Amino acid sequence: MDMALQSVPVADLAKERADRTRVLRRFRLGDSTFRIMTQCSAIAVLVLLAGVILSLVIGSLPAWKAFGFGFFTSESWNPVTEKFGAAPAIYGTLLTSFLAMLIGVPVSLGIAIFLTEICPERLRRPIGIAVELLAGIPSIIYGIWGLFVFAPWFQVHVQPLFIDGFANIPVLNQLFAGPPYGIGMLTAGLILAVMVLPFITSITREVFETVPPVLKEAAYGIGCTRWEVMRRVVIPYTRVGIIGGVMLGLGRALGETMAVTFVIGNAHRIVPSILAPGTTISATIANEFTEAVGDLYTSSLVALGLILFIITFIVLAAARLMLMRIEKKAGT
Amino acid sequence: MALPQVMRRYAGRRRSNFIATALSIGAAGFGLTWLFLILTVLVIKGVGGLNLAVFTEMTPPPGGTGGLLNAIVGSLILTVLAVLFGTPLGILAGTYMAEYGRYAKLTMVVRFINDILLSAPSIVVGLFVYEIMVAQMGHFSAWAGAVALAMLVIPVVVRTTEDMLLLVPNTLREASSALGLPRWIVIRDVAYRAARAGMITGVLLAVARITGETAPLLFTALNNQFFSWNFNAPMSSLPVVIFQFALSPYEDWQQLAWTGALLITATVLGLSILARTLASKMVPL
Amino acid sequence: MSLAIQTELKEKAATPAEGLVDKVTVRHLNFYYGQYRALADINVNLYLNKVTAFIGPSGCGKSTLLRIINRIYDLYPNQRADGEVLLDGTNVLSPKQDLNLLRAKVGMVFQKPTPFPMTIYDNIAFGVRLYEQLPKADLDARVEDSLRRGALWDEVKDKLDASGLSLSGGQQQRLCIARTVAIRPEVILLDEPCSALDPISTAKIEELIDVLKRDYTIAIVTHNMQQAARTSDYTAFMYLGELVEFDNTTQIFTNPRMERTQDYITGRFG
Repeated sequence: MDMALQSVPVADLAKERADRTRVLRRFRLGDSTFRIMTQCSAIAVLVLLAGVILSLVIGSLPAWKAFGFGFFTSESWNPVTEKFGAAPAIYGTLLTSFLAMLIGVPVSLGIAIFLTEICPERLRRPIGIAVELLAGIPSIIYGIWGLFVFAPWFQVHVQPLFIDGFANIPVLNQLFAGPPYGIGMLTAGLILAVMVLPFITSITREVFETVPPVLKEAAYGIGCTRWEVMRRVVIPYTRVGIIGGVMLGLGRALGETMAVTFVIGNAHRIVPSILAPGTTISATIANEFTEAVGDLYTSSLVALGLILFIITFIVLAAARLMLMRIEKKAGT
Repeated sequence: MALPQVMRRYAGRRRSNFIATALSIGAAGFGLTWLFLILTVLVIKGVGGLNLAVFTEMTPPPGGTGGLLNAIVGSLILTVLAVLFGTPLGILAGTYMAEYGRYAKLTMVVRFINDILLSAPSIVVGLFVYEIMVAQMGHFSAWAGAVALAMLVIPVVVRTTEDMLLLVPNTLREASSALGLPRWIVIRDVAYRAARAGMITGVLLAVARITGETAPLLFTALNNQFFSWNFNAPMSSLPVVIFQFALSPYEDWQQLAWTGALLITATVLGLSILARTLASKMVPL
Repeated sequence: MSLAIQTELKEKAATPAEGLVDKVTVRHLNFYYGQYRALADINVNLYLNKVTAFIGPSGCGKSTLLRIINRIYDLYPNQRADGEVLLDGTNVLSPKQDLNLLRAKVGMVFQKPTPFPMTIYDNIAFGVRLYEQLPKADLDARVEDSLRRGALWDEVKDKLDASGLSLSGGQQQRLCIARTVAIRPEVILLDEPCSALDPISTAKIEELIDVLKRDYTIAIVTHNMQQAARTSDYTAFMYLGELVEFDNTTQIFTNPRMERTQDYITGRFG
């Protein structure tokens, strides 16, 4: 077949090649520009983190200079005499998060097991999606619900039961001492638990889904019941991922502000009873920052923020490391 | 296998299985019930105050009648600004991590740090922006509020951009490079286009995240009783208004708080559903 | 397939030859993934203490058939079987069949080695502990016995506390065989047990099958015809969801009756 294949006359070819070189040079310039832009943006993320830490440290310096390490142990919080201590806030943050995990984790695990194994196939997607959507509800919603709906109900119907029920048992009667305020540490912990539920459930579900089906089939193949497969094969296999998910939930709970501020009671003191009002780091900052007068007051609040940031950073970093390990495992 | 002994054990095993199943169903019922309870109360209480005035009138002084117009508009302004500030930075960073720097050590570090920032306490972000902007400028402003929200937008956008770009098959990139196209054109015209739906989903998720965020705004944008276009001054926003009104002793303020909460929740759920539908449409890559 | 040959094959399947006992009888089995029929009117027998191999090209349904015998397909929705699968005369497809007890009698080894996330000792002991409460000495003896039957004892006797995942691929698969054997099943189903393994491990496992068949009834699915010829007493050739031919192995590989069998064996299609 002889189609007249026109070959480009030599002169035009040289011109084309020269044009191309010019275009390529322009391209290369664009490429390095773009590459630098993106690289700087990536570095900017690191700069942001460094910036946060730096500004918190600088902002809190006056407080550290004034109180030293005593800041961690002092229980006083007096804007008038300018004596501030972080102990009640730190105690409150840790206690409410602990209570939230205590109640939230078993329930989340239960829901995750229900969704992956027990729930009828047709309901699985809708309920799963519902759980994920609920994870996005802003915490202020939980806050006002807690204040207006849960706390009054809790005060009238549940707290008296605890107070009277444990009245004669040593230790417990101190933990559950009255009067029933409705708001307080336990209430805040419960609200946090409900908030953290959808979050931990989604992560646990994802983690459960990394288990190779062949492994589960092998366990069923020996005649294991469903619970035996979960308990002896699936959970040990995903143990690290579950812990990672729980710690992510813990990191969230520690830093939570609005869900807790409404129902914690804002009392700067440490008492044995979990029914009593208290405070957390984030609640203190949220409630007092805009009214803080004086450098030492503001600086103490910033110092609280620094402490919170460090605690959550450690928890979140540990969680990330654990989740990275299970992601690597799933990839093999 | 001695049969009666096995059957006795089997009965025990079946019992444990039954108990565990019952507990699990119980947990699911318990957890889901609380969550749906909250939503129901929210709808009932919020709808009670839902009327046209909410969308047309300003926030009232205590005891007066009014609406949430300035708060709604303020929230919209802050959100748009936050997205404008945060999205480009997030996309560029994500692009570096998935394209130029895919195997670089820097990427691993940034990914790690980014994931931590993703879950970091938002009140600390508020403190940070206070220190670098409000304290320096001497006053609260919408700019500061927008920057605080942008800092929450960035990690979300970085994560989704990187994830979406990593999904684009390498064969596509190789084919375009084989034509002699430079890297940035390949990224712009091939990778971005393929990951477009996913990246938009990321922005929607970021917006859902900052809708309803109160803490970072408390000492950056503060609040404003009146309608304001001045970005250099405090600006009201729905979450902060809800915070103020809910903690007050005035009933009409509390009612507005519930209605505002309903609006926020509806927005967040709507955005999440929108993001999901977009994501599922994009799956056949 | 002509009606005459069909009938003859069915009659042959119905009346076992001299000295052969029916352990598992499959009659008129159909299997569906949703609307799609994956197996059509299967009739085949597994004889007591014999090895039966299932061969055929990819997608012909041999793994599907195996997974019906211990009803492991039940874990997934939209999959159903109708027909009869008789284990010692009882139909295991009946809804009244207790699945856990069925799987105690019918063990399965999968294509990919699946050690549990436990020590080597616990991998074996786990199954035993489900069914029996043995004193430690007896349990140790059972673990050793199972590992010996799995041709693994000599290699792991000094490291029973090591994780099951620390073994090589071939060792892991032998661990899975030992684990299956430990709970004293009657039938063992092997689903392409060697396809993920190197030739030396494969040879070891094939030797193992020869010893195991003295005590168990064995069905093996394999895409490797030479393996089928080496290890089995009876062979079933399947194609596109149908059982084309079932006969003793020598007959199938030297003088098959169906032309399609002949074509497959000689490699005319794969």
